[in-house]
Amino acid sequence: MDQNNSLPPYAQGLASPQGAMTPGIPIFSPMMPYGTGLTPQPIQNTNSLSILEEQQRQQQQQQQQQQQQQQQQQQQQQQQQQAVAAAAVQQSTSQQTTQGTSGQAPQLFHSQTLTTAPLPGTTPLYPSPVTPMTPITPATPASESSGIVPQLQNIVSTVNLGCKLDLKTIALRARNAEYNPKRFAAVIMRIREPRTTALIFSSGKMVCTGAKSEEQSRLAARKYARVVQKLGFPAKFLDFKIQNMVGSCDVKFPIRLEGLVLTHQQFSSYEPELFPGLIYRMIKPRIVLLIFVSGKVVLTGAKVRAEIYEAFENIYPILKGFRKTT
Amino acid sequence: MPGRGRCPDCGSTELVEDSHYSQSQLVCSDCGCVVTEGVLTTTFSDEGNLREVTYSRSTGENEQISRSQQRGLRRVRDLCRVLQLPPTFEDTAVAYYQQAYRHSGIRAARLQKKEVLVGCCVLITCRQHNWPLTMGAICTLLYADLDVFSSIYMQIVKLLGLDVPSLCLAELVKTYCSSFKLFQASPSVPAKYVEDKEKMLSRTLQLVELANETWLVTGRHPLPVITAATFLAWQSLQPADRLSCSLARFCKLANVDLPYPASSRLQELLAVLLRMAEQLAWLRVLRLDKQSVVKHIGDLLQHRHSLVRLAFRDGTAEVETRGKEPPAWGQGQREGEVGNNSLGLPQGKRPASPALLLPPCMLKPPKRICPAPPVSTVTGDENISDSEIEQYLRTPQEVRDFQRAQAARQAATSVPNPP
Repeated sequence: MDQNNSLPPYAQGLASPQGAMTPGIPIFSPMMPYGTGLTPQPIQNTNSLSILEEQQRQQQQQQQQQQQQQQQQQQQQQQQQQAVAAAAVQQSTSQQTTQGTSGQAPQLFHSQTLTTAPLPGTTPLYPSPVTPMTPITPATPASESSGIVPQLQNIVSTVNLGCKLDLKTIALRARNAEYNPKRFAAVIMRIREPRTTALIFSSGKMVCTGAKSEEQSRLAARKYARVVQKLGFPAKFLDFKIQNMVGSCDVKFPIRLEGLVLTHQQFSSYEPELFPGLIYRMIKPRIVLLIFVSGKVVLTGAKVRAEIYEAFENIYPILKGFRKTT
Repeated sequence: MPGRGRCPDCGSTELVEDSHYSQSQLVCSDCGCVVTEGVLTTTFSDEGNLREVTYSRSTGENEQISRSQQRGLRRVRDLCRVLQLPPTFEDTAVAYYQQAYRHSGIRAARLQKKEVLVGCCVLITCRQHNWPLTMGAICTLLYADLDVFSSIYMQIVKLLGLDVPSLCLAELVKTYCSSFKLFQASPSVPAKYVEDKEKMLSRTLQLVELANETWLVTGRHPLPVITAATFLAWQSLQPADRLSCSLARFCKLANVDLPYPASSRLQELLAVLLRMAEQLAWLRVLRLDKQSVVKHIGDLLQHRHSLVRLAFRDGTAEVETRGKEPPAWGQGQREGEVGNNSLGLPQGKRPASPALLLPPCMLKPPKRICPAPPVSTVTGDENISDSEIEQYLRTPQEVRDFQRAQAARQAATSVPNPP
């Protein structure tokens, strides 16, 4: 939609052209190094791989923190080159204050600080921070890491079984299938472990929902494919892809939604007549957050786990800004 | 026109190409004589060369406003007039409708959607001018469902990239309160129920502000809170006569619909007022309940800012401060009370320790405890045992039974009245 081109002149002031979002987007990135509680992505960082495997079951939170920061640093190296000195100072102070919270981590932290901070060209770079719409300034104290990990509640994935299917046969010969062609043109199949539901279409494509982790979703999809195989179809397992991930968490303090929609109106939509929560469309990462007055936050629209964690770390300082406005 | 010949009648050279319907003609502009005529009918071969272009592929829809758009624009203007909006609103709403119509998704939408779009444009215009129009009101006027309205509203706000301010609560209070038919005596409204509009408005506003401050408004539909506040304001202005009147009866004689959540908002507001009353020494001794506190709403509202500060402590920092001592003033008051206890007041007559100022949803105990999810050690690539898959497949016997049952059911349904 090229709505920006078609805006009449008198409506310009009223509409908010979406192109203007871009300079303000990276404002959220400065919060990255202050964040903790980020679990590792499918591992890209070999430095801390061994430590990751050791600590994964014990101290997940502190582990995630280092991983995410390293990745953020490496990702942002190719991006903008502004405010390096300020950024480096903040980063080192943040890492120094947060190292007290982790156990085995501090050693790794220190080495990371030493290697990356002095190099202006390669340090994680924070783009020009302040835009009028957000109250965040780079001077937010570094100790405000949230320590809260969003829990994944639902994963939606798709896979191509690679052959045409006869839904009537599947519905007849499988115990856990329901098929009502008048209502919906797919077989709805359920398995108990992992507890998931699949929609199987006659084209051979399948949607798997309800899993609580990426691995569980993949395992469940493979089980459905195996069931279809046993029913006599030459099913394969092609193009498995996670389409959506939903997470939720609780910041444990009430939030003034009316205030939040005033300061972040370009991203927020709060209509109490329609829905009790505020819908926050974050641009980087591209995640939709539902924020409720009780402090519960639902994050959705992610393709990878790190996006959910990053989005939460971005929103947490904003929410804390609305904490004491009674 | 030079070089085109002369009119045989008057000899003028002013010959004009002018078609008479589908027949092209050369006409003298002085005397009107038809000099030459084109062919009136087309031959079969000619028609073969004519190709019909569908309207949507022609440029017609860009050059002129389509009938459905005209109808929509008329509806927008009519709606603005019905709502008695200022004239400038009409132009803005029309502009939004036209802007929306430029998008192909809207042009090709169903008529029902276009109807609702009319309401959305008017609503957005009102919101931008702080005119308190609720979505419920628009839906009633359009005979539309609120969920249909909500989906189209969200879509159009996103599509046009509009910045729509929130509903202005103060304006809504003024408009809504003015619609209560309580300001003049009538057969249905006895004299003791008639109230002065200004007094009621100001008190309602104060009560709504109080509700807003104590987390009763955030996340909730605004109208039921205002209904409850209006009721309390009306009751408190003449409590002796009006305490016997219930909320439902009040709405009925004021000729206003009672929104369903209004009664629970009323209870919440009364609970807040009771807590505030606990902080006033002369009210504490009266042991007020939800009925009797209404008589003192005037006093409570007069000191509402300090009372709220005294009665509630900041719930946003509750985890760390839970179990901490209340601040010095609270203790001072308590000591003062203890001194007074020697005068014969019953024990335990101290100001209640400050309650947490939290939204009601956070004060209620959780319905069920969510256990921490077990750490999953699934890798996604495990072996899947055959037996596990077999449990999901029917045995041949089951398949036969199922088919027999299906056939029997088919037979039963196809013969509705078996002999």
